[in-house]
Amino acid sequence: MRLSWLALSNVRNYAALDFHPAPGLNVFIGANAQGKSNLLEAISLLGTGKSFRTNREADLIASGFQSASVSGGAHVRAGSVNLSCTVTATSRGTRKAYSANGRPVRYAAFLGTLNVVTFVPADLQLIAGAPSGRRRVLNGALAQEQPLYYRDLVRYQKALAQKSALLRSADEPDADLMAVYNETLVAAGTALMLARDRFVTAANAEAGRAHAAWSGGRETLELRYEPNVPYEIPTGEAIGAALAQRLRAAAAAERARRIPLAGPHRDDLGLLLDGRSLAAYGSQGQQRTAVLALKVAEYTVMHQRTGEAPLLLLDDVLSELDADRARAFLEGVEAYEQAFVTATHLPHDLPQSRVFTIEAAVLREIASTARARAC
Amino acid sequence: MPNPGSIAGPVASLINEFSKLPTVGPKTAARLVFYLLNRPRSEAQSLAEAILAVKDRVRLCSICFSITEEDPCPLCTDERRDRSLLCVVAEAKDIYSLERTSAYKGRYHVLGGLISPMDGIGPGQLRVKQLVDRVGSERPQEIVIATNPNAEGEATALYLSRLLVPLGVTVTRLAYGLPIGGDLDYADEVTLAKALEGRRTL
Repeated sequence: MRLSWLALSNVRNYAALDFHPAPGLNVFIGANAQGKSNLLEAISLLGTGKSFRTNREADLIASGFQSASVSGGAHVRAGSVNLSCTVTATSRGTRKAYSANGRPVRYAAFLGTLNVVTFVPADLQLIAGAPSGRRRVLNGALAQEQPLYYRDLVRYQKALAQKSALLRSADEPDADLMAVYNETLVAAGTALMLARDRFVTAANAEAGRAHAAWSGGRETLELRYEPNVPYEIPTGEAIGAALAQRLRAAAAAERARRIPLAGPHRDDLGLLLDGRSLAAYGSQGQQRTAVLALKVAEYTVMHQRTGEAPLLLLDDVLSELDADRARAFLEGVEAYEQAFVTATHLPHDLPQSRVFTIEAAVLREIASTARARAC
Repeated sequence: MPNPGSIAGPVASLINEFSKLPTVGPKTAARLVFYLLNRPRSEAQSLAEAILAVKDRVRLCSICFSITEEDPCPLCTDERRDRSLLCVVAEAKDIYSLERTSAYKGRYHVLGGLISPMDGIGPGQLRVKQLVDRVGSERPQEIVIATNPNAEGEATALYLSRLLVPLGVTVTRLAYGLPIGGDLDYADEVTLAKALEGRRTL
């Protein structure tokens, strides 16, 4: 898929922007705080309805204004589609509205139209960081790829929040009500676990392939789904039975500790190098390379499954990588149809690209090169 | 929004009162107030009286907990209505929607909300015990649960069915799915998947 135009209105430091990106690589060069990341953030808002940088959506609205809006046109396999996402300040925070081809749509229908894979410097901490970050990778990719995954995720999270509140509310919470929430957790949780299992299996093959090419086959990277509730075989029936059984077994402990203890909200994604945990034993360099392989896998699996290349958003991340890794990454996602890259300096040895400078929210094209050289 | 200092006190205060209403913002409130300013006094009077009458004369039916002027309400005393059917709704306004269909001829029970422990609403805060008592005394054959198809409505329906099925009554709920006159092309995946799950034999 490909973004053919992008229009911003009162988004962070952009009062107004009308931009026609090229297919292939679009590189934005500029000093800090000029609006490079804001531009990528706006594209991600159009794809996922969410910012990859902040949970405080009020920050997206330029100061002194009531609402921020991003719209854009994309070429997808089904034809061309116009999307928009508007964030409006309200007395209680913000409200978001989505539209597709001029018609208002719900978030669940908006998500998955324009798929994006983002890669930001914080991702380099994914392996050393908490499991929540790795679950976010799984949820982000699967929710874009499968509308029903998003529905199940929301159902699961709502039932979990209600169950938590019920556990907090009384020493002996209503057993029938607890059973209702557990039933929903099993139904939605089983679907999440099954989808995660399949995704990680596919991602493992891709990440392993990319990693082997970079390490010359000297090291073997493995991605492993580490469900909180183990099961024998990855079928809906086996997973559902294991989850239901585990929730029954955990019931007394959950009442005593007053928090939900078991289920896919505690899942993890394990990354291992030659069979050893990268978080525990990997060097900084090995962890970085593994994250690159994970991102290549995320991109490739989404591409394979949806039949369309997602947009690739690389925010200030190439500068965090040495030249070899940066080149290896771009070669790993070779099949990208369109990518947006920000950097403070023009990276070495970029493939064919259009290069723009951004200064105080003004874009200026400086080069369209067969092979841009560092300036 | 008008600057409060620049506008007559009573006008500002009525704008303020209107904007407390659901779906009414300050701009709509101002339009309503300026509309009323241009209408005869009698019209304003009948509006004011109608608002007070709602508060003074309307109360809850002691059987179904719907809003009514007489207790029990006309729906509960109407002998033509089917006593074997009892429809459970979250709010009294839902009765109004169902009655517009003219397709339902049974009686109602208003829960007064939906179960949501996050908001401090458990079965004890709703008229669940009264529902169980009614099923015991009135002996309906079927309970139709007509809660909204959202997470809270779903949990409330499942909870009620756990309580009621052991009492020997059939518990059903409204179907999910495609709107009439709709088009498969325009249905979102989630609704379509629900409709597929709830398919029925022809």
